[in-house]
Amino acid sequence: MKHFAPLLIFIFFIASCTDTNMPDEAGLKNTDQSIAFKSTYKPMASESVLFKNANFYDGLGGEFLNYDLLVSDGKISEFRQGIVAEGVKIIDASDKWMSPGIIDIHSHMGVYSAPGVSTSSDGNEATSPVTAEVWAEHSVWTQDPQFALALKGGVTAFHVLPGSANLFGGRGTTFKNVSQNTIQAMKFPGAPHSLKMACGENPKRVYGRKGQSPATRMGNMAGYRAAWINGAEYQKGMNEDDKNDRPTRDLAMDTLKGVLDGEILIQNHCYRAEEMAMMVELSKEFNYKITAFHHAVEAYKIADLLADEGICAAMWADWWGFKHEAYDMVQANIAIIDQARNGTGCAIVHSDDAVGIQHLNQEASKALAAGNRAGFTISKAHAMRWITSNPAKAAGVLDQTGSIEIGKDADLVVWTGDPFSVYSRAEQVFVDGALAFDLNDPKVQPITDFDLGIIQPQTNRVQ
Amino acid sequence: MKKLTLIFISIFAIGSSADSILLKGGMLHKGTGEAASLQDILITGDVISRVGRNLSIDANTKVIELNGLPVTPGLLSPMSNLGITEINALDVTRDDESFLLKAGFSIFNAFNPHSIGIPWNRSNGLTGAISSPSSSDFPFFGLGSFFVLDGSLDVIGTKDVVMFGRIGSSYGSRAETLELMESLLELGKKSGISPVEDLLDSALAEQFNLQAQDIEALGQLTNNDLPFVLETNRAIDILQALKLKKKFNLNLILASVEEAPMVIDQIKASNTPVIIDPMDNIPNSFDELGSSLELGKILDDAGIRIMFSTQRSHNYHLMRQGSGNAVAYGMSYETAIRGMTKTVAESFNLKNRGSIEEGHYADIVVWDADPLEPSSFPSYVMINGEMQDLASRSSKLTERYTNTEDKPSSYKH
Repeated sequence: MKHFAPLLIFIFFIASCTDTNMPDEAGLKNTDQSIAFKSTYKPMASESVLFKNANFYDGLGGEFLNYDLLVSDGKISEFRQGIVAEGVKIIDASDKWMSPGIIDIHSHMGVYSAPGVSTSSDGNEATSPVTAEVWAEHSVWTQDPQFALALKGGVTAFHVLPGSANLFGGRGTTFKNVSQNTIQAMKFPGAPHSLKMACGENPKRVYGRKGQSPATRMGNMAGYRAAWINGAEYQKGMNEDDKNDRPTRDLAMDTLKGVLDGEILIQNHCYRAEEMAMMVELSKEFNYKITAFHHAVEAYKIADLLADEGICAAMWADWWGFKHEAYDMVQANIAIIDQARNGTGCAIVHSDDAVGIQHLNQEASKALAAGNRAGFTISKAHAMRWITSNPAKAAGVLDQTGSIEIGKDADLVVWTGDPFSVYSRAEQVFVDGALAFDLNDPKVQPITDFDLGIIQPQTNRVQ
Repeated sequence: MKKLTLIFISIFAIGSSADSILLKGGMLHKGTGEAASLQDILITGDVISRVGRNLSIDANTKVIELNGLPVTPGLLSPMSNLGITEINALDVTRDDESFLLKAGFSIFNAFNPHSIGIPWNRSNGLTGAISSPSSSDFPFFGLGSFFVLDGSLDVIGTKDVVMFGRIGSSYGSRAETLELMESLLELGKKSGISPVEDLLDSALAEQFNLQAQDIEALGQLTNNDLPFVLETNRAIDILQALKLKKKFNLNLILASVEEAPMVIDQIKASNTPVIIDPMDNIPNSFDELGSSLELGKILDDAGIRIMFSTQRSHNYHLMRQGSGNAVAYGMSYETAIRGMTKTVAESFNLKNRGSIEEGHYADIVVWDADPLEPSSFPSYVMINGEMQDLASRSSKLTERYTNTEDKPSSYKH
């Protein structure tokens, strides 16, 4: 049987265009999600809930035993021992573990929906090495059955990226894991876009085969630099006082300008150490910030550099060997990044995979164990950051979610046991305080339109 | 042309320990399906000589105290590309495809015991694997072989222990696939009566440019009970496969079977083992709309013999995580252990392997914690009575990059 390589490499650009303060006459305002494509997300109806006597990982490194947590109006309103509240629903969570909702910084759900057929292959606009103009969210299929499966795994938010065929693959968008019939209604309110860039084998393979640039890694670099030169000129032109001096609006350039303006976050698919270091140089040449390297199989070789530059690395626990640039895998990669420069590194466990996203807790567990075998002393509470607050930070939504703190969105998971055990499952998943999944109540288990009655009229796909 | 009989090649590692080793007081999961219990294991040479409590030993026996650590047989992957594919996306490192042969394509002589995937999987508890050809457009892909993962150039393995094939969505019609499979199996049957040279002149052989090896391999399926791993998912396709099994009296093993729960009674009645990936609940195609994490439990409840594959090439040891998830969703623990050990040995006729029983080869793993937790790791891996080095290229890289000496990494070794 052919052992298919995992989805090879997806690179997205995520550009966040919310809350830009461009003057209307700059002609840029309609790139801004404040006019079109903006989030219309509304939390599901919820009641105030008091969780009693649970054990918590707060997603910031803290562990709290026998604590109470009060959710009001979809937000975390109290978190301490001995909370008393009247007129609220009380959930006895004794001996249960709770954590923030899991966040995946690298997903292709919706753009590579299931079933994985050609008609749903919407993640790579592999027609030109620079497609900064496309937005992954414009491809998303709301009925992708993978969303509900990820929810069962405790995932409350995820970042959807374009693929990695291109040097600049397009913008990525963060979503709340709620079932809705429009993209806008799923979009995480206030979340920035990202821009996906890709290093290495994929762009040079895809375009080299077509006999065009890039066909080499040096061609990749030349391609990025040429694009940034254009982006910088465009940015300058758009800032001209006289609007007659401004260039014609260009979607790709809007995205690059958004990065240079600091509104769009760079999510950079990159495996090899020296290529990541080269991308850091590129960001200095054009004065932009790289938010995270993705896949980053060799991140451990330049862990200090990434910590010094404040760049996160989003990694698998153990994928390797499916391509040459993924040959030097070490299972301690995530821990080494985490522990760099006295523990100031930013490590993320990502999935890039519809199965992996359902078990990010198990992936973190493997990475934690490997780190401790390699000589580090890392706690489970600390490792919880890798799948909650750190991906929230990289998605630009840490102010809203990713940790258990007063005032944050009540995106929460109640686990049947230790979240780092293979035997534990998400028992209840809350998104903005609303119960979105309940292991013990089939009525609170989403069934997409795709799933409904597809096996037999009375038999849904997900039982 | 060589007859494709099952050849058991017993070239054992040179330097097998003459002295005995006692693994004392481990929580032993024998792989047979029986509940775990505290036992000692005495290893003499390359075999397990005794299993029991308070075994008497001589002065030359090396005693390793396990203090209740879990012990399992070495894990066996029923479907891998170990030693056959170094890097998937790099054709020149792959030996899993033939442009000449079809059903008769054997990967046996391509096996590279120095592939870096071998020490990596071995250090994670895998001691043997079936390596297989990649899938092709033809309904039969070719023959898989069994290899012991000790990394020795004196390859220990069994040639051509299984045929692989597939029924499902394709560029043509599955009706045609089934028709073609039947015709090919008829041809195989005839090879028991007529000389292969004559069959090479048949219209079917000419149309598909079949070689003698292809026809002989098909004959192994129909005339010699060669195990046949058939990947299929759709409920109705599973029933079609069971019809083929009945008609040709095939030694069938169903793989993937994501819609098995809908035809569970028929699978059970046919006494057919299965290979599943318990974590794959994605409806990747319109053939597997019924996929679910409860597949393992449903098969186990029906008493069907289960083995495990994994989606992750290069990490075949991750069937531990897969089977752990199956247990989380209701499969019995000992079924999970058996599915990674004895069920594989039984299904592929791997003699004296796959369970911790007296007289079997000493392929044993001692775990630092519950082997079904993906966070656990082997403390000892023994193959044919030899303690294995748990180092891998990956562990060497880890050492290098956690070494804080101030010098270029190339000098840290």
